[in-house]
Amino acid sequence: MTKTTRILTVDDSASMRALLLHALTQSGFEVEQAEDGQVALEWLETNEVDLVITDINMPRLDGFGLIEQLRAGPLHRDKPILVLTTESSDEKKQRARQAGATGWIVKPFDAAKLASAVRRVAH
Amino acid sequence: MTLMTPFETRSSPVKRIAVIQGEVRTSADPDVELTTVLGSCVATCLYDPVARIGGMNHFLLAEPPEHQRSSGDFDEHYGLYLMELLINRMIGCGAVKGRMKARLFGGANFYHTIQQIGAINAEFARRFLQQEGIGLVNADLGGTCARRVHFRPASGQVRCKNTEAKAIAAPQPTRRPPTALGEVELF
Repeated sequence: MTKTTRILTVDDSASMRALLLHALTQSGFEVEQAEDGQVALEWLETNEVDLVITDINMPRLDGFGLIEQLRAGPLHRDKPILVLTTESSDEKKQRARQAGATGWIVKPFDAAKLASAVRRVAH
Repeated sequence: MTLMTPFETRSSPVKRIAVIQGEVRTSADPDVELTTVLGSCVATCLYDPVARIGGMNHFLLAEPPEHQRSSGDFDEHYGLYLMELLINRMIGCGAVKGRMKARLFGGANFYHTIQQIGAINAEFARRFLQQEGIGLVNADLGGTCARRVHFRPASGQVRCKNTEAKAIAAPQPTRRPPTALGEVELF
């Protein structure tokens, strides 16, 4: 039996979380959700996922901070992390890359492209 | 209906910037005034009174229909995307989401058709702000008149007046090229 890919989405927008939940579950993925980087970090201390999809601009702990902290810890050092953001600047993209992101997706997202990227990077 | 907050008298000239359908503009410049003309479209004016940063979006439709959500085939004319873009641009300029205040304008219904697009847009905007915990300071929504809105983002001052429907620009479905939508780059 094939194991279902489990994804944590991190986004401060309730509306965007709802849209992501719908799109990813329709594609056959199991989805967990957090409303900012801090909630995600705490949840990931005791939970396992195959992939993290995170926004950048969030209160408390932003996407850059989340990636840096996950890469610095022992549990999720090698976990695929996709950034899903309205940001399109090269500077922000390079910053995400240097922090340890696996990929960069610009909103508004295309559900088919998102699902395809998830399948490519999920271990 | 006319909704006004007193505009400060400025010694320097005002820089007016038109916000058209599908656009988001933000600024902390006290000389900037964002303007738009609305029919069934809705404009959201967001403002952080501490950072003195504000912004406006102008959306044509509220949300992608249910059948398009899983295909992701929706563009920047939808309020769902433009609301998030406005909030994120403001955060990127130093605003704090928890301090943001909103004003909503537009959502007129010119014709008695089955689908009242203006009412759907207005309802979406109210619901979105409620879901995101952003306080709605005031709203001038619905009715059958076009509106002209002037918003000074650095001070949060706003003026909204009824105007003639012919002042509204025709909808321009300038969709992004398919390749630019949700572009994925793996590092």
